[in-house]
Amino acid sequence: MKQSISVLKDITEANSLLADNLRAGFSQRNLLVLNIIASPGAGKTSLLERTIEMLDGELRFSIIEGDPATSIDAERIAAIGVPVPVVQINTQGGCHLEARMIQKAVEQLEMADADVVVIENVGNLICPTGWDLGEDIKVVVASLPEGDDKPLKYPMAFVTAQAAVINKIDLEPYIRAKTTVMRENALTINPDLAVFEVSCITGQGIDEWLDWIREQLAKKRTTSK
Amino acid sequence: MHEMTVTQAMLNMALEHANGRRITDIYLQAGRMSYVVPESVESFFQYLSEGTQAEGAKLHFEIMPVEMTCMDCDQQVDLSEWADDRPHVIMQKAFVRGCECGSKNLRVTGGLSFGLVSIDVDESE
Repeated sequence: MKQSISVLKDITEANSLLADNLRAGFSQRNLLVLNIIASPGAGKTSLLERTIEMLDGELRFSIIEGDPATSIDAERIAAIGVPVPVVQINTQGGCHLEARMIQKAVEQLEMADADVVVIENVGNLICPTGWDLGEDIKVVVASLPEGDDKPLKYPMAFVTAQAAVINKIDLEPYIRAKTTVMRENALTINPDLAVFEVSCITGQGIDEWLDWIREQLAKKRTTSK
Repeated sequence: MHEMTVTQAMLNMALEHANGRRITDIYLQAGRMSYVVPESVESFFQYLSEGTQAEGAKLHFEIMPVEMTCMDCDQQVDLSEWADDRPHVIMQKAFVRGCECGSKNLRVTGGLSFGLVSIDVDESE
C-alpha cells in the first residue's frame, strides 16, 4: 500500500540553514561578509587586490578563495604587499561554493583581526546565485568587454545581488560595449543595485566602491550591536 | 552542472522523510528560473539512488512559472502574454514594460526555487 508523505521543502534548505548559522557567527564577530560572483576573467581577484591595497591600514580583510582546481588566486592575494589571511577552497571541478565548504574554510581562516571577509566564488554567473554562503551582501562583477547585455543574459546574478561592479571601463574606447548601457541594463533588472564603474588597472572609480564598503561596514556594525 | 549536488540534496531529504521505507514516487516543483534541468536531475538520480530505498523511484516534475511582483502597488505582474517565452526573456520584457500602475520597481518572487513537495512510500514492505 502506498502512503503519501508531505515534505514541502526547498531542496537547498540544508544549505540555507547552515548559511544562517554562518551568518550569525560572522555577525557575532562584527564582520562584514561579501560573496563575489562573476564569470571567469571578469576581474574578481583584481578587484580584491585593489581593494585590499587601497584600504591597507584602515580595514583588515580575510579572504576565502573558491576555485575549481588551482590556488592561483590565493597566491595572487598572498603576493600583494599587504599580509592578508587567505584560505583556498578547491571544488574539484564543482561550479559553485556551498555553505558547508565555507564552514570548513572558516575553521582554518584567521579572522580575529578582520573587519571584512570576502568570499570569491567560482567563476560562473549561473550556479553560485542559488547558494547562500552566509554572506551579508552579494556583489556581482561584470567586465565591460564581456558585453553590456550581460545583466539581461544572466538576470539571476543581478537580481540576487545588492551591488554590481562594472570592471575594465578603461577598455571602452576599443570595444563596442558601453558602460552606460551596461549600467542601465543592470538597473532594469534590479532597480535597488548599487552600481560602480571601475577599472582595476587605472584605479578609476575605485574610490566610490571603497566608500560603499566603508558604508556597509558601518551599517552592519550599528545593526549588529 | 550543479544538478548533481542538487539531486544529492533532494535524495537525502526524501530518504530522511521515508524513514527506511521504500520510495516509489517523488513529487518535485522546479521553478523556470531555478536553473535546474529536470533531465539532468533524472540521470543523476538514477546513479545516486542506486542501492538506496529510493532506487527505481519515479520523479514527477511540476514546472513553476516565473512570478513577479510590483514593489509599489504590491500586485503580481500579469506575465500571461509571454508565458511561452523563455524565462529570462519574460523577465526582460516585464522589467522594460513595468507594472500596470506605471512602476518599474519589480521583483522576481516566484519560479526561483527547486522544491520537494511530497514522496510516496510503499507501506507493504
